[in-house]
Amino acid sequence: MDENTDLKLLGFIVERLEVGILAIDPQFRVVLWNRFMETHSGRDLDSMRGQCLFESFPELPERWLRRKIESVFELGNYSFTSWEQRPYLFRFQHNRPITGGVDAMRQNCTFLPLRDASGVVRLVVLTLSDYTDTALIQQKLTAAMAVSDEERRKQRALLRRLQDAKAQLFQSEKLASIGQLAAGVAHEINNPVGFVTSNLGSLERYLIDLTTLIESYASHADQLPPAAAEAVRRQREKLDYDFIREDLGALIRESREGLDHIRRIILDLKDFTRVDQSGWQLADLEKAFDSTLNVVWNELKYKATIVKDYRHPPQVECIPGQINQVLMNLLVNAGHALGEKGEITLRTGPDPSEVTGAVAEVWVEVEDDGCGISVEHQKRIFDPFFTTKPVGQGTGLGLSVSYNIIRRHGGRIDVRSTVGVGTCFRLTLPVQRSEVADAVSESPDLAAEVTPEELLALEGPDGA
Amino acid sequence: MSTAGASPAPAGFAAAGSAAPASATTAPANLSEDQTAALQEIANIGMGQAGDSIARIWKQFVALSVPRIALVESGRIPTLIHHFVGDARVSAARQAFHGAMRGEVLVVIGRGNRDQLGELMGYDGQLDLGEEQEMLLDIANVLGGACIGGIARQLGADVGFSAPSLIGTDLDSHAVVRPEELCVSTALCVEVCFTIESNQLSAHLIALMPREELVNLAQLLDRFLCNL
Ligand SMILES: Nc1ncnc2c1ncn2[C@@H]1O[C@H](COP(=O)(O)OP(=O)(O)OP(=O)(O)O)[C@@H](O)[C@H]1O
Ligand SMILES: [Mg+2]
Repeated sequence: MDENTDLKLLGFIVERLEVGILAIDPQFRVVLWNRFMETHSGRDLDSMRGQCLFESFPELPERWLRRKIESVFELGNYSFTSWEQRPYLFRFQHNRPITGGVDAMRQNCTFLPLRDASGVVRLVVLTLSDYTDTALIQQKLTAAMAVSDEERRKQRALLRRLQDAKAQLFQSEKLASIGQLAAGVAHEINNPVGFVTSNLGSLERYLIDLTTLIESYASHADQLPPAAAEAVRRQREKLDYDFIREDLGALIRESREGLDHIRRIILDLKDFTRVDQSGWQLADLEKAFDSTLNVVWNELKYKATIVKDYRHPPQVECIPGQINQVLMNLLVNAGHALGEKGEITLRTGPDPSEVTGAVAEVWVEVEDDGCGISVEHQKRIFDPFFTTKPVGQGTGLGLSVSYNIIRRHGGRIDVRSTVGVGTCFRLTLPVQRSEVADAVSESPDLAAEVTPEELLALEGPDGA
Repeated sequence: MSTAGASPAPAGFAAAGSAAPASATTAPANLSEDQTAALQEIANIGMGQAGDSIARIWKQFVALSVPRIALVESGRIPTLIHHFVGDARVSAARQAFHGAMRGEVLVVIGRGNRDQLGELMGYDGQLDLGEEQEMLLDIANVLGGACIGGIARQLGADVGFSAPSLIGTDLDSHAVVRPEELCVSTALCVEVCFTIESNQLSAHLIALMPREELVNLAQLLDRFLCNL
């Protein structure tokens, strides 16, 4: 091949290559404009030759493009644009008149410096490759990835719900068995307490009869022979009969009080274990405090001084069994926090006399002057299974379950704590069952949303 | 050296032409002392020219550090980059060069006033994400082209460039290069730091050439030395 055919061949390639090729001089005038450019721009070489690029295509980003081309003239280096950052330089129709998918042809551009023999850059050649197909594939890929991301997110959410549900199940099973045990014990105690109470009644009556009888003997003591009267008197003194008579009444009274106390505890226990009579009712939170306190009294009595600061707020609509459960968790935690000895303050509010208008929210607080919770731990105490207690003392479920219960009531649970000073948990509950609460508590439960296969998939061989 | 970067490298360091942080480097086994010295000289001149051209196209004063040259075990490259760049969050791009010299250029850009920089490069108003990325790629292209081009020109070598690609924006400097994606065991590393004072832009250019390529480079350097 001679030089001429070489040049012809080159000319042909430049002309027919499926790549846009144009060349511009330092005044941004077009000197080369190949077939690809003609076809897509609708302007032929003759009309473009010698024209300033920016006058022919005012829609080009002139300031930026000038800088870019100038820098190629100046530095004599390649420069590039990519469709990913700049979809196109020239707005051309894409090659998909039928199947569509993008608004215009996606382009990758290369700016080539063309030096003369002395090494000075005389022209900048701009090549334009059609990247529409790549862009479309990328678009699909991105969409597919978004879908799988979304799926993963859903799975994670599901997993968390599962964990919550598991935790709740665990805790409510624990409580249910405590409740059953308590109910069983209460029942067992109820019988003996019943007959002790009735026997005590009889005993009291008999004692009154007996003392009456003794008194009536005593009133005839003067009719006894002096020796016998003396013996009776001495006997009476030796036994301290007067004291016995006085003390009997007190003993009986105290026993009756004791029995009353037992009966109240049994009632509270029954009240408390009403967990599954889970209806919404109006309840007095102070009463709930008191009956819960009775239930956990055994754990607290040796170390805690209980201070009650009640302001008699109105009743709230709630599921009392669940609220009792929360209060018990808080009281037990407070008791644990005290260590040897301390004070627990139960507070309620607001004071209705200080509220103008209807009371919308009622709050209760359990404050202790115990060990406190560090700031890092405060972020985690509501997580299921977070505990700082030794195995056997804590499962780390109390607060997470409490949190869920309060959330389902449309309320809040807040904590204030300083290490070494103490902790205060505050529950805030709407007086009236709110729509939010309904929405949360009646949201379809797990079984409805998670199919067994999904559960299996999530649980894996050794559980989630 | 930390992020600021434009301060000249310690004299001994530049003169020796080897050894950046001692722990991260070994002596350049495949380049003789003469060749290393010549490379250092060529890099100094090339970078100077590059700085000059860049100053002209951006119409800003550009400060340059003395180029540092060292042969580096590739496993140390991430540490080295962190050593050059410091703890700041960075943006980074890479660009390949090929021909008589073959390798990759990493351009790592620290904090800077993006919008001012955008204005400098002919963008209008606040930059969107695409524009910011494009600008980063352009800076990488300009710096890489100027520096490697400058060195290649002095060596009379013909070097081409591929389009730059984005590594990421807002990266930890350790994350610019992950050791597991490196495919060479040792590389020649040329580092230089550009600072445009008015825009608080500081950019580190790190050119890496696989050790195998040093044979070619050594030949080019010998030719250069002969022609002196
Ligand atoms: N009043 C408090 N004072 C100090 N720390 C507390 C208090 N209440 C809770 N905590 C901390 O929060 C953790 C979690 O409490 P939570 O009631 O959820 O679990 P637990 O008491 O450890 O176990 P569980 O209640 O399941 O028996 C506790 O282990 C404890 O570290
Ligand atoms: Mg607890």
